Amino acid sequence: MSEIMLLRRDVIAHALPFETLSETLLAQFAAGAEEIRLPAGGVVYDAGSISDDIYFVQSGAIRLEPDVQTAAGLPVQIVRPREAFGWTALASHAARRNRAVAVTPATLLRLSGQNFVTMLGSDQREGQAMRERIAGALADIRGQAVYQPAPARRAEGLGLAMARAALWLRSPAPYLMLLGYALLLGFWYVAVQVLKLPRFNEMPGLTDVFQEWFSRNPVYGVSLFTPVYYQHILVSLRRIFIAFTLATVLGVPTGLFMGWSKTFREYVFPVFELLRPIPPLAWVPLAIIMLPGSELPIIYLTFLASFFATALNAMLGVKSIDPVYVQAANCLGASQARVFLSVIVPGALPYIFTGLQISVGVAWFSLVAAEMVSGQFGLGYLINTSYTTVQYTTMVIAMITLGIVGYASSALVRLVGNWLLGWHKRQFALEGGA
Amino acid sequence: MSILAPSRGALRIDNAVKYYGEGSARTLAVDHCTLDIRPGEICMIVGPSGCGKTTLLNAVAGFHGLDDGSIHLDNKMLCGPGQPQAAVGPDRIVVFQNGALFPWMTNLDNIAFGPVAQKRLRRAEARDKAAQLMRDAGLAGHEFAYPGEISSGLRRRVEIVRALMNDPTVLLLDEPYRALDALTKSVMHEALLETYYRTGITIFFITHDLEEAIFLGHRVVIMTARPCKPKKIIEVDIPHPRDYTILTSKRFRELLAEADAGVHDEALKSFALGEREG
Amino acid sequence: MPSESIVVTKIHPATSVRRQRLTFARPRLRALISFVALLALWQAGSTSAAWSGHGWPIISLVPAPSVVLTAWAALLTNPGYWQSWGLSFTRVALGFFAAVLVGVPFGLLLIINRTWRSIAFPVFELLRPIPPLAWVPASIIFWPTQELSIDFVIFLGAFYTIVLNTLGGGDEIDQRLIQAARSMGGSRWNIFRRLILPSVLPSIGTGMQVGIGITWEVVVAAEMISGGGSGGDSASGGGLGFFLWSSYIGGSYPDIIVGMISIGIAGYLSSAAMRFLVARATPWARGH
Repeated sequence: MSEIMLLRRDVIAHALPFETLSETLLAQFAAGAEEIRLPAGGVVYDAGSISDDIYFVQSGAIRLEPDVQTAAGLPVQIVRPREAFGWTALASHAARRNRAVAVTPATLLRLSGQNFVTMLGSDQREGQAMRERIAGALADIRGQAVYQPAPARRAEGLGLAMARAALWLRSPAPYLMLLGYALLLGFWYVAVQVLKLPRFNEMPGLTDVFQEWFSRNPVYGVSLFTPVYYQHILVSLRRIFIAFTLATVLGVPTGLFMGWSKTFREYVFPVFELLRPIPPLAWVPLAIIMLPGSELPIIYLTFLASFFATALNAMLGVKSIDPVYVQAANCLGASQARVFLSVIVPGALPYIFTGLQISVGVAWFSLVAAEMVSGQFGLGYLINTSYTTVQYTTMVIAMITLGIVGYASSALVRLVGNWLLGWHKRQFALEGGA
Repeated sequence: MSILAPSRGALRIDNAVKYYGEGSARTLAVDHCTLDIRPGEICMIVGPSGCGKTTLLNAVAGFHGLDDGSIHLDNKMLCGPGQPQAAVGPDRIVVFQNGALFPWMTNLDNIAFGPVAQKRLRRAEARDKAAQLMRDAGLAGHEFAYPGEISSGLRRRVEIVRALMNDPTVLLLDEPYRALDALTKSVMHEALLETYYRTGITIFFITHDLEEAIFLGHRVVIMTARPCKPKKIIEVDIPHPRDYTILTSKRFRELLAEADAGVHDEALKSFALGEREG
Repeated sequence: MPSESIVVTKIHPATSVRRQRLTFARPRLRALISFVALLALWQAGSTSAAWSGHGWPIISLVPAPSVVLTAWAALLTNPGYWQSWGLSFTRVALGFFAAVLVGVPFGLLLIINRTWRSIAFPVFELLRPIPPLAWVPASIIFWPTQELSIDFVIFLGAFYTIVLNTLGGGDEIDQRLIQAARSMGGSRWNIFRRLILPSVLPSIGTGMQVGIGITWEVVVAAEMISGGGSGGDSASGGGLGFFLWSSYIGGSYPDIIVGMISIGIAGYLSSAAMRFLVARATPWARGH
């Protein structure tokens, strides 16, 4: 065989599904094939044309573009040297579903369908085997024709949390934690009630407080079983809720705009920074003077502290966004509004939630002070009045309750944040911070 | 998906000049750079760190303007006298060095972002098309993962699909594979070539890796140290389609030696100046 | 290798200077406009009853800037006013200093000792949600003098913040650096002194900056509550918070605003001073 023929035989022999052809057939095909050269961009055949020929790629690359009408959803394929194309239409006697174009200058070997069938017919057994192979290959291709829907979102969350909890329980951590609590409570008990240390003996004891707290008929009228206890809690909670919501609704957009728009920032931030150092509690007298009633001043004070914390963190959140994301969004054709909604807001969200946690803490801080100074009902008020009326056990009950409720509200904000920011946590968990 | 259209994507950079910084710290980054990129070409820009190649890419993308000179795309002026800064747009999409997939969206939503933002497709349609593109690119199964959950190599590929979703005229790649390990890199190269064969898009690719440049590119443009200017252009005459086997071919090694000779001096100059990576 | 030619720079003076002036002036101009607008609005609103016939809601009850300035001018010559400043600053310094003295070692111990962390941190987290001001009455009961009780509450306020920030700084330390140090034969003390401590210092600095702000809030509130609540005299009460409260009780409303602004300035000065000190102590830390 001449060198050219050897080359062709090599090409055909490697092309699926023709690789099992006998040497005789290979030689025949090599001889019977016609060499075609195409420049880059040259069309081999168009979609819809009658399929008469099989092509083998000797050099270069061919792109098969599915016809929009007959083969929508099928992927674009690249055919490389020592691969064959164009034979499926022949085997199934259909019009071409793809358009074949040369991506690079290419040399093809074309075998007319007629020749192919004739040569196959010359060897009964070989021809049969070949037909079966082709039929099998066709079935494979059809099977993966259309787009399969992607797998659904994975389930997560509860299972993971439980696994984590189990791990934690097996470590020494929870027991040391209990030890810590025991030490604290133990110290309180011993110092006040057993050793009766000076100064400490004026404080209410551990057992006194808990007895009162859990008593159905408390000495000073406030315990888990008295409705007035819950009244105080609810009043404080209501104030926190209103103030926090207002602060978030006003603070987040303010902060976002301060971070996003230079103009806005240059006008607003100076005034913002001027008012921020004034402690919210310094506003108490003014608030009482300005605002009518007793509820409004308290809510205003609570709102103030939260507002500054939220807005500041939102602004920092915007500044923390890598400018590359904004550039990418611009490249992709996003308008300013779209960039703000799809990049700035989600990007700042981690900082915003940190800010919200701080904001809740600060809200409680201000609320308690405001309640201690003015107003009726509320946990701060309860602490103050039980102090002035020398009902110290109630005072401690109120302090503990404050701690619990404060913690619960912080935890709630954190939980909501974690839920919304699932992508953030997963990213850092996997990257390990790198 | 676009049909092979070597008639579009001709990028012509004419005498581009760009300064950096203000006042006494003002330095020349791009020095009368002229470059003609052919439609459907993979043009590799190679140069030492800090030479100004990213500045050039940013000017093409429209992230900043030029102080002099002009850039044309298919004979339409992007920037030039009278309009020093090109408009940023989906005809020239950038793939960034450290990646810029939005971490708060799934891969699928990232890819679907462009057409939805441009109001060309509704979200559901965009998602369907995005899913198909992912499948074509061999990324099926990662649709609902977040970028932070997949490997960096996969992230790059998703980012390239995100760009291609918008049928850009030119793909601007700014050292996209710099942070990947060598094994992942070679997989990325073949994936990029596969993508190129399927779309025929013009690619403007910045790299400092000579092997990468010669493996991928039709031409390799070697830039001088800062301020940058084309020093030497090497035509890579290895035929497409290429695969990893050409890496050991004689012609590849010859071209590599030629490129090395050109870059080495510039790299020394850059090092002496204490340049930092852009 | 000798550094060769400096990169040639071609400067275009005209655009450069003009742009510089603009970037400098414009934000300050805008800030000025905002302040002036705010003052104008305030003045107009406070005096609205006089010039518009009917008083604007809320704002008309507030003393006008002009009145406030006059009152302030009068106070500047009043030694009692400056005494309040001194008292508040002293309390802040004492409480804050104590918080740093106790908080930083506490936080550092949490970082380096896992057992201590498992025992003490839950207790810390248990007590933290109780706002420092809620401790005021208990503090008054416990401590022998009113001064100490105020200082204790101030201490608490800053303490939590400092510990949290210290801990946060510790968590950020790259474990690989510690492993590297260990593999090079570093002793525990050495690793602590040369690796952990410098790494944590910037976070401690941040904690101190935030802490001093919180301290001012607590001081004012504590002074108001204990001074106002117990109706103490200015010898045991005193301070700017007390000044604020007694102005309110005494009905001198412009003094209230003077008090507010004074406290704001005092708080700002303390924060600025702290920022300056921290920057000097940790020059390698990147700004936030």
